[in-house]
Amino acid sequence: MRPIAKPLAGLLRWLGSIALGLAGLILVTFLFAHFSPIDPVIRIVGDKATPETYDAAKAALGLDRPLILQFAHYAGGVLTGDFGTAWSTGQPVGVDLARAFPATVELATIAIIIGAAAGVGLGLIAGLWPGGWRDATVRVVSLLGYSVPIFWLGLLALLLFYARLHWFGGPGRQDVTYEMTTVPVTGFLLIDTLLAGDKDAFFDAISHICLPALVLAFYSTAGIARLTRAAILEELHKEYVTTARAKGASQARIVLRHILPNIRATLITVIALAYAVLLEGAVFTETVFAWPGIGRYLTISLFASDIPAILGGTLLIGACFITLNSVTDLLVGGLDPRLKR
Amino acid sequence: MTIRGICAAGFLSALAAMPSSSGAATPPDILVVAQSIDDVVSFDPVEGYELTPFQAFNNVYQRLVEPGLADPSRIVGGLADSWDIGADGRSITFKLKPGAVFAGGNPVRPEDVIYSFVRAVKLSKTPVFILQELGWTAANIDSQITKVDESHVRVSWVADIGSNFVLSILTSPIASIVDAKEVSAHAVKDDFGNGWLKTVSAGSGPFKLSKFVPHQALILEANRTSPAGAPKLKSVIIKNVADAASRRLLIEQGDADIARDLGADQIASLAGKPGISVTETSSAQQDYIIFNSASTNVPALSNPAFWEAARYLVDYDGLANKLLKGQYTIQQTFLPMGFPGAIADKPFGFDPAKAKAILAKAGLKDVKFKLGVFNQPPFSDIAQALQASFAQGGVAIEVEPMINSELYGRLRSRNYDAAVLYWFPDYLDANSNASSFAVGTGDDGPRTVAWRAGWNNPKLSAKTHAAVVEQDPAKRAADYAELQKAVAASSPFVFMLQAKDQIVLSNKVKNYVQGITPDQVYYEQVEKR
Repeated sequence: MRPIAKPLAGLLRWLGSIALGLAGLILVTFLFAHFSPIDPVIRIVGDKATPETYDAAKAALGLDRPLILQFAHYAGGVLTGDFGTAWSTGQPVGVDLARAFPATVELATIAIIIGAAAGVGLGLIAGLWPGGWRDATVRVVSLLGYSVPIFWLGLLALLLFYARLHWFGGPGRQDVTYEMTTVPVTGFLLIDTLLAGDKDAFFDAISHICLPALVLAFYSTAGIARLTRAAILEELHKEYVTTARAKGASQARIVLRHILPNIRATLITVIALAYAVLLEGAVFTETVFAWPGIGRYLTISLFASDIPAILGGTLLIGACFITLNSVTDLLVGGLDPRLKR
Repeated sequence: MTIRGICAAGFLSALAAMPSSSGAATPPDILVVAQSIDDVVSFDPVEGYELTPFQAFNNVYQRLVEPGLADPSRIVGGLADSWDIGADGRSITFKLKPGAVFAGGNPVRPEDVIYSFVRAVKLSKTPVFILQELGWTAANIDSQITKVDESHVRVSWVADIGSNFVLSILTSPIASIVDAKEVSAHAVKDDFGNGWLKTVSAGSGPFKLSKFVPHQALILEANRTSPAGAPKLKSVIIKNVADAASRRLLIEQGDADIARDLGADQIASLAGKPGISVTETSSAQQDYIIFNSASTNVPALSNPAFWEAARYLVDYDGLANKLLKGQYTIQQTFLPMGFPGAIADKPFGFDPAKAKAILAKAGLKDVKFKLGVFNQPPFSDIAQALQASFAQGGVAIEVEPMINSELYGRLRSRNYDAAVLYWFPDYLDANSNASSFAVGTGDDGPRTVAWRAGWNNPKLSAKTHAAVVEQDPAKRAADYAELQKAVAASSPFVFMLQAKDQIVLSNKVKNYVQGITPDQVYYEQVEKR
């Protein structure tokens, strides 16, 4: 029994901690939303509504009930998969999230693939040739990634690569010719266009996702490159590297067979964190590139005081964050024998 | 080939293979509009009260009567072929256009008119207050609209108002006629099909709403059988582009035919660019200052001398022409120019010395108040400019930026000192603004803007009521002129500016018409050449 009971208990503990984290997240967000000075009813009925209309709308939203009842009603709905209706779109929050989140996931995934490849590559170069021009170049790139406002970078990218060079598509997920011509199956436009067998729409979607993905990738590259460089430098001074060198191993072998396996746990953690940040929704990038993702959805909901949408979005992002962290922990634990104990 | 060579070749091939989608013209029979559509809550005409739905309503629905396309101050028949004012002065009988059909194919019947007005009043959504001007309530609406015969419907009202005013009310989007058969087929419980009609349309306008995806796009498809006439375009795609700089890029590249809401700098930078032009129309939006004369925090705010001084502490010219770079004009009365009954009186100018003298004479010194303002341009910029100009008259302003719903919440509870606000009339009649700014009430009456300012002038309130009943158009116009002068001279409001709509159009777009109110956006005559 014991070999089965132990992992089962671990799984239950893990699920319990996720549930606890999400419950805390809902409660805190709910309280923040309700104690803010914003009046959501006015957002819905407008400032010219009569007191009767205002009161009717307030009652329809359930805001005339005690706070504890409002929370209990909401939490009960969440448990049954009902996140309520978004006040700002009139649609079920679940439907809104199912539409907005894939757009962000698609963008974030491509961005993190590019960002991770570039970041690790640049970090390796900087770490292996510290102090030289390569290192200086990587540091400048990192500095730019950290310090340049992303909306400005996005606008510059649009100006250069869309407006001047005509290399990529402009704002939006598709050109107007293809706008809403693809039936959403997964919500991931690249997959849906392929499923529909529409090659033109697929290439059009690629041309539109490239710029925002590159801008976000640049932002991720900065962090990943710096941490990769630091990890490489630390490993280079360790005895096993000196031993490998003394044994006549080439630089490539030392990096590929010795250093990278030793820093992969760090790299996975850094990349997972960067991915989680991108999944939260890059509000400015999504705004500049007219990308209908979760970041813009949440921002619009915040300005509209749309509490069900804010709560639903926060819950989704929280769940992603916790899941991603847990998966990273599992991966890191599997890769690093020291953490298995 | 080295690894480096393979990588370089791969990258270049990928770039070469990438289709260049930019610079392509939009299809000749499709109009592409770039604007923000994040404000949409509902496309049901009895509920939608935001800019984007308003811009769509004229294109997908018809009313019995509508503002004329060429002259919006003249009311013309929409779905009504003709109408007769009842001898009782409290009803109008409309003859429906023969052969008129909805986009879904159903004929337009008196029952559709009855259903449309009954559902509007009974659902009691945000814009219902417009129809309530007729004295319609959920309790009496069933008896107010009656079928005369297969082509005639009688509309009655109980409020003490004139028939011209009633016709004006019936031009507003909430009075749109919906296809009763289609809408009632989608009704759930007692929602009159409201849930269904939020994202579709069931009207007879030149377009029908074929698809709407929140925060992404809205597609209007031509309704070839519209009684208003078939549009020249196949469809209109209104694409959500929240960022103004991105909208500018799209119109410059030819990926959009119309771009709305660009900033003053962006408009200026587009001047002289080939292939595009900027068109300006007067907007009915007015920006004004409201003082809370019921405020106990700052007693000076209830002093008419302070209101008078404040009128000389606004740098009207600096705001309209320098700060806002021509996107506004000066307007100092409660009706916007271009609106029926508006007068061009501009009696006030920036004169800090005169303001100081008025304040000194009234014994007011070191006046200091908080000015609530929406935390977005141009309102935050206007508030800062007011802070500077009022300081020259010895009045200190503390600017309090906040989001719209918070500021409106404080106005509704009179929990504020002063605020910079904007105002749109709700329907095409002078009474819309007069009843808001000139009619003061007690706490049990309608909460007008005058109530929010804690201001009640019974004489002006009575005059406003008299004007709405008046049948003689000339006398009515004279009444509103008097009211405007009186409110401009002695109220806790300082009317400052009237907005202009600056729309960027591709030169291919012909016959685009836009009127003064937000709903007067017409795509039906548009063609691309």
